[in-house]
Amino acid sequence: MTPLLEVRGIDKSFGPVQVLHDVTFAAQAGEVTALVGDNGAGKSTLVKCIGGIYPIDGGDIVFDGRPVQVHGPRDAGELGIEIVYQDLALCDNLDIVQNMFLGRERRSGLVLDEASMEELAAQTLDGLSVRTVKSIRQQVSSLSGGQRQTVAIAKAVLWNSKVVILDEPTAALGVAQTAQVLELVRRLADTGLAVVLISHNLNDVFAVSDQIAALYLGRMAAQVRTADVTHAQVVELITSGRSGDLGIAQ
Amino acid sequence: MRAGPSQEDIRRHNLGALLRHVHLGGPISRAELTSKMGLNRSTIMALTSDLTAAGLVREELPRETGRAGRPSLVVRPESARVYVFAFDVGPDRLAVARVGLGGVILDRREAVRLRGPFELDELTGILAGFARQMRRKTRDDTVCVGAAAAVSGGVRKGDGVIRFGPNLGTQDVPFGEELGRRLGLGLPVSVGNDANLAALAEHSRGVGAAVRDLIYLHGDVGIGGGIIAGGHLLGGHDGYGGEVGHMVVNPGGRACGCGSHGCLEAEVGERTLLETAGRLAGEQHGRDAVRAVVDAADRGDIVAQEALKRVGDWLGLGVANLVNIFNPEMVIFGGMLREIYLGSAAQVRTRLTLHAMAPQREKLRLRTSSLADDATLVGAAELAFAHVLADPLEVLARANG
Repeated sequence: MTPLLEVRGIDKSFGPVQVLHDVTFAAQAGEVTALVGDNGAGKSTLVKCIGGIYPIDGGDIVFDGRPVQVHGPRDAGELGIEIVYQDLALCDNLDIVQNMFLGRERRSGLVLDEASMEELAAQTLDGLSVRTVKSIRQQVSSLSGGQRQTVAIAKAVLWNSKVVILDEPTAALGVAQTAQVLELVRRLADTGLAVVLISHNLNDVFAVSDQIAALYLGRMAAQVRTADVTHAQVVELITSGRSGDLGIAQ
Repeated sequence: MRAGPSQEDIRRHNLGALLRHVHLGGPISRAELTSKMGLNRSTIMALTSDLTAAGLVREELPRETGRAGRPSLVVRPESARVYVFAFDVGPDRLAVARVGLGGVILDRREAVRLRGPFELDELTGILAGFARQMRRKTRDDTVCVGAAAAVSGGVRKGDGVIRFGPNLGTQDVPFGEELGRRLGLGLPVSVGNDANLAALAEHSRGVGAAVRDLIYLHGDVGIGGGIIAGGHLLGGHDGYGGEVGHMVVNPGGRACGCGSHGCLEAEVGERTLLETAGRLAGEQHGRDAVRAVVDAADRGDIVAQEALKRVGDWLGLGVANLVNIFNPEMVIFGGMLREIYLGSAAQVRTRLTLHAMAPQREKLRLRTSSLADDATLVGAAELAFAHVLADPLEVLARANG
């Protein structure tokens, strides 16, 4: 099966510092691919390269089997790549519907088409089996951390996206909310999306992922199927870049 | 020589099959039914009008389809009119729900059960009382077509006797018969093991809806299981099948309520988790206590982390054994095991990698229950609806008296 999203041999430097060295990474539709690595391993940089925030110095991005150029977030959005950042980028003073359509509001003539936006937002939340939100006209400031995460994820799914990248979605959440978000992440993939999950918590990674890609000092140590590795092996890949036969050749 | 099925048998079967489509799949157009059931359009029309006349379904014009041509009528279950009573008897919870055709929970009552001896009279009294309360609130044109209970214990196939239930503190109790008498509806009460029924629920309308081979693991005080193979529940000879909680994973290990040692339930159950986390003496027990351990582990409590790791290790070992034997497509963690799996997935999956055979684990999917705490109730409702789906008109005629 060809991966939906593939990056091949990506290099990226900030001035004299090379942050990504020849990184190769793939995400399949219908699967959760976890991206793990220590602080500064290059996880966020890789994601920002895919999302068009940083231009890449070398390498290819292949989407659905064809090479593409991503020059900005708009290009990524048109391909169907959505990124949910750690800080969520939601506006506290707006309600859920307004947030989900922020900057991409629907219009009928000169005025906003509130009815159709509301219906679509409700459909999306319903399709994700989100039942924790009381009203979609609630202000985001009144939501809990888990609910905010849910809204941010639903916002990413709303745009017929094909790849959803989640940066640390369970950081700073309580146990009950973490469970809900993890189940949501799993459902996204089960509906056919390619999901990329960045996480420091290996428990969360093992709970929902189908593949694990481990970055080590800007290099891809290995991308493996979760069913074929142990916790100890993944820890070794993260901390030393190799584990037995896996990892970067010395 | 036995003759083939009669016209009447075939009609009864088709009525049941059509009702099952509407019951499990929700509103569906006649045109879709025609293609799904592979029957003639006029046959579908005759069947739906029989079911409509009996008041089991109704037909409506669909909302705009946006397509050319005369729209096909949509067949909907009469959820508000035709209902069953579903009961759930867990170690810590008593629940009763009035569930409409189509699986809609119309009304529900819950009470906390204190852990202690099993008082049949008192228990059936509470359950029947809840059912009566809910029945009084219904309209006159509604009809109750069945009742079923999920209990945390081994239930004999056929007569609803609870043969063993160490976590309920019971043995050899004619539960189904007594509850049926107390209800006074003139309906028999079917009884099933809670994990078995939850497995059926997840298989028919939960996360395992399209999956033919799955294993559902239910964590309460103990660990129960339901195994669905080739689309059918493995009940065993007498109906006690699927007791995965009493699979011995650690010979000479902890003592189990069943009298053996080192059962999966003894190594993974609530008691062990709380004991190793040093919280057995605490005031909390049940789901709250388990959540508190997972929460503490998440916040960095080393003792809680170790306890969760230990439990995850044994759980993974148990699942690995099951995966090797049954080669399921999906393993579902329900009840308290949802929290335990999510809190110790690294250990569980490491054990699977080490002990499950590569071909079996290749396409294995691990999921948490999507019906969550309602899984057992929904399963009991499905059990209560089973005979309606087998012979819709006859059952309804009897219920209408």
